[in-house]
Amino acid sequence: MSPIEIGLISVIAIVFLIYAGVYIPIALGMVSFVSIWLMRDNFTLALNLLKIAVGDSAMEYSFATIPLFTFMGLIVSKAGLGRDIYEVMTMRFRKVKGGIGMATVGANAVFAAVTGSSIASASVFTKVSVPQMLAQDYNPRFAVGVVAGSSVLGMIIPPSAMLIIYSFVSEQSVGDMFLAGVIPGIMLAIAYVGAIWFMGRYTPNFVGGRVVQDTEWMSGREIASKTLPTLGLITIVLGGIYTGWLTAVEAGATGALVALIIAAFRKSMSARSFWEALLETGHITAAILFLITAASIYSRMLGLAGLPNQLQDILAGNAASFWTVMLVYVLLMLFLGTLLDTASIILIVVPLFLPLVEALDLSLIWFGIITVVGAEIGLLTPPLGISCFVIKSTINDDRISLKDVFMGALPFAFVMLIVLFILIAFPVLSLALI
Amino acid sequence: MLTSAIAGLSRVANTFAIAANALGTLVVLALVVVLNVDVIARGVFSAPIKGTYEMVQFSVVLIVFLQLADVVRVDRLTRSDGFLNLLHDRRPRLTANLRRIINALSAIFMGLVAYITFPEFLHMWDTQDYFGVPGLFTLPWWPVKLVISVGTALSCLIFVLKVITAQDRPQLIRAPEHDEPSK
Amino acid sequence: QESVSAVVIDGYPDRALWVKEFSNFFIPQMDSRLEAAGNYKINWQENYGGSIVKPKGVLEGVQLGLGDIGIVTTIFHSSKLPSQGISGSTPFVSSDARAVAKAVDEIAREYPAMQNEFAAQNQVYLATGVVLDTYQVFCSQPVASVADLEGRKIAGAGLNLRYLEGIKDAAGVRGGLTDFYNMLQTGLADCAMLWPEAAVTFKIAEVGPYMLQADLGAVNSKTVTVNADYWAKLPDEVKATLQDVAIEYRDHLAGIAMDRAAAAHAAYTEAGGTIVEVSADDRAAWAGAMPNIAAEWAETLNGNGEQGTEMLAAYLGKLEAAGFVGVRDWTAE
Ligand code: NA
Ligand code: NA
Repeated sequence: MSPIEIGLISVIAIVFLIYAGVYIPIALGMVSFVSIWLMRDNFTLALNLLKIAVGDSAMEYSFATIPLFTFMGLIVSKAGLGRDIYEVMTMRFRKVKGGIGMATVGANAVFAAVTGSSIASASVFTKVSVPQMLAQDYNPRFAVGVVAGSSVLGMIIPPSAMLIIYSFVSEQSVGDMFLAGVIPGIMLAIAYVGAIWFMGRYTPNFVGGRVVQDTEWMSGREIASKTLPTLGLITIVLGGIYTGWLTAVEAGATGALVALIIAAFRKSMSARSFWEALLETGHITAAILFLITAASIYSRMLGLAGLPNQLQDILAGNAASFWTVMLVYVLLMLFLGTLLDTASIILIVVPLFLPLVEALDLSLIWFGIITVVGAEIGLLTPPLGISCFVIKSTINDDRISLKDVFMGALPFAFVMLIVLFILIAFPVLSLALI
Repeated sequence: MLTSAIAGLSRVANTFAIAANALGTLVVLALVVVLNVDVIARGVFSAPIKGTYEMVQFSVVLIVFLQLADVVRVDRLTRSDGFLNLLHDRRPRLTANLRRIINALSAIFMGLVAYITFPEFLHMWDTQDYFGVPGLFTLPWWPVKLVISVGTALSCLIFVLKVITAQDRPQLIRAPEHDEPSK
Repeated sequence: QESVSAVVIDGYPDRALWVKEFSNFFIPQMDSRLEAAGNYKINWQENYGGSIVKPKGVLEGVQLGLGDIGIVTTIFHSSKLPSQGISGSTPFVSSDARAVAKAVDEIAREYPAMQNEFAAQNQVYLATGVVLDTYQVFCSQPVASVADLEGRKIAGAGLNLRYLEGIKDAAGVRGGLTDFYNMLQTGLADCAMLWPEAAVTFKIAEVGPYMLQADLGAVNSKTVTVNADYWAKLPDEVKATLQDVAIEYRDHLAGIAMDRAAAAHAAYTEAGGTIVEVSADDRAAWAGAMPNIAAEWAETLNGNGEQGTEMLAAYLGKLEAAGFVGVRDWTAE
């Protein structure tokens, strides 16, 4: 069997096992193990690859960003910063058709800059934003759709666990990836706001809602107390990275400490919830990094099979066009996105495409943004869309079915796809800040 | 007799997993402390802590493998069980057996990793190999190898117990921790 | 013609100097010689840039047979490969990559220590690679002499941080090559230790326009090795050819490093950098204020049952014969 065949068969086997419900790291690890064993007819060699990959894949300085930013995000959620930003935003947008929807997007964009996960965004905003929208007669589908759509901002606007994972697979600097995510993230938020305006204008029934007259203005002091903690945290984390004063890892640690101080000041954290946040951080870190370790076994197996070399040779032989490669790439991500979570998609497709992208002499940072945005579309698509699941389980309201959540999220998934193609066509959007 | 033995073993395994989890949690806390002290020591006193870089690398591995068994225990290892959940409603027995097979496969994988990394620990213990630059800062390798090996062995045991007891309940999503306090 | 397969691994990408020269020099040399002899042909599979191992994983990768031939970056393995610290532990002696590469390589052949250490990792030593001429100190603020480094924060990596123990109140800050620009720009470090070619590559002149020409010395950091089980099965002709070509690769690589170093000085000043000469007295004073890390190195090897003290003397003797005498006699005391 040629390396290409082995690579292809192993990918199919992995996808099959994952869809059958096997734990993703186990599927990646076991298939890679058996592939090497068969390919080289050498059981010891297969064991040795496991040994070296398990030993050194997790041992990476920049991986400390994962527990640190996760911890910061959990503390920030518990301290109620998401709710505060949302309240300030709704005050500004109240009089526009679909205004609360726009406010939700805006608040999500700001909250995204202090949290690294879409799950956190989805659950926080389901609680603060959906009841408000329902109270003002918005269409339930629209209400949950906005929350689902804007939750993906959490993992595109830095800090983001997905940008960290990509930077590991492609050996790019975490700091650079973070900076690259800023403009695309803001762009997506603006595109969402535009789409909401458009829907309010042309499909008012889908949006629903009534315009509220009784606007209560907050005092400047109140606005400050609700926004300054978040803005301060953003300044410290992103400012620290941007100026080079802090490495991404140090920014995570400093951000976590500052978040703790904020939570302590507001007396919004008990010793118990502090400990729970720590435990949770450990669970998330272990799950992500074990997945990364397994994915590294898989990519090393592909390397041992000689797949990267073969792909480069094929590409040198017949120049595949840029758009062909990108189109195949996006389609593959959309397909995997039906059932897989974002991290798994990144870890499966990037090792396959990295040699192609390098051969085409494309920017790996730009490619990372494409990958993260493309893989995150899967958060919104059925049958497995994590953001939609989180919203459904958080909302706990039988009148809104899982199907409603998916239907509501669909327009936003479509907007993401359009933004994705704009990002592909104009790399400068991802690279301007670096 | 056998059932009570298995129940007892389960209790022991779970206790170990929870203890390791608590230990790993303390490593997370230590990471926050060490990095902040280093940032301040460097920025304010021009005296960075030696070995922060090495300590951070070590701590990442410790967090992962100290937590792994507990992640397995509460079934939060990454998976996509939409298909299993669908199947569960129609063919509960078949689904339970499928889950057994998946857990057995997982036990084999964890067992393989434990099996190949344990000799590594013994070797590092014998040679006292270290990590870092002599004269500046060094850390022994063996604790990392020990944690990897013990963590995966414990995960293997928990998977084996899941195969025997078939206790593995389907859930849509496991994310209670992202809750904001309700006002 | 009999076919032999060979998997070459390194964790660094193929644009790295030593990797590129392995592809463009080592492999073609092997091919043309074997073809001339007409008995064997090697089918090469090159896996670089983390496709099988990361930079720190090459040693273990060759040990475990994931690669047949590897380029081991030895500075990551002070614990398993202590003898490889030979040139790093003897600063202020020679800034000639060719001389250092040759001297280290001869020590590896004349004394068993280096080969023993690799044998313990299940691999066979082929040759030493030196890819940099000398560490220098690049500062963001004007410096006139070594005294101006006192009390400064100086970035470096690995063993060279120990050189700072010879400067009063200097604080070593750990950083990699890719971090130095940022560190100098933000004031996280006042100075950074790296070699001129890297300084040009990473545009250090923009943020560290003052280069203190301290000539800390060339350092061996790469070793080409072969998996021992694979080696045992190789035909003698292929073994002999590998050994010959490895020596040529050693000299070829060091030669390129020196050519690039010469060009780098010009490029650095052209980019706005100023080179500040350091007097022999200043260098001697710096070296003299350092702990004798060469003696520590020899002591470690002696403790391992190797001839550390003899190796140190022999190594410095070789450099002296090549015309390089250090400002401090590391063998004294
Ligand atoms: Na974020
Ligand atoms: Na999906």
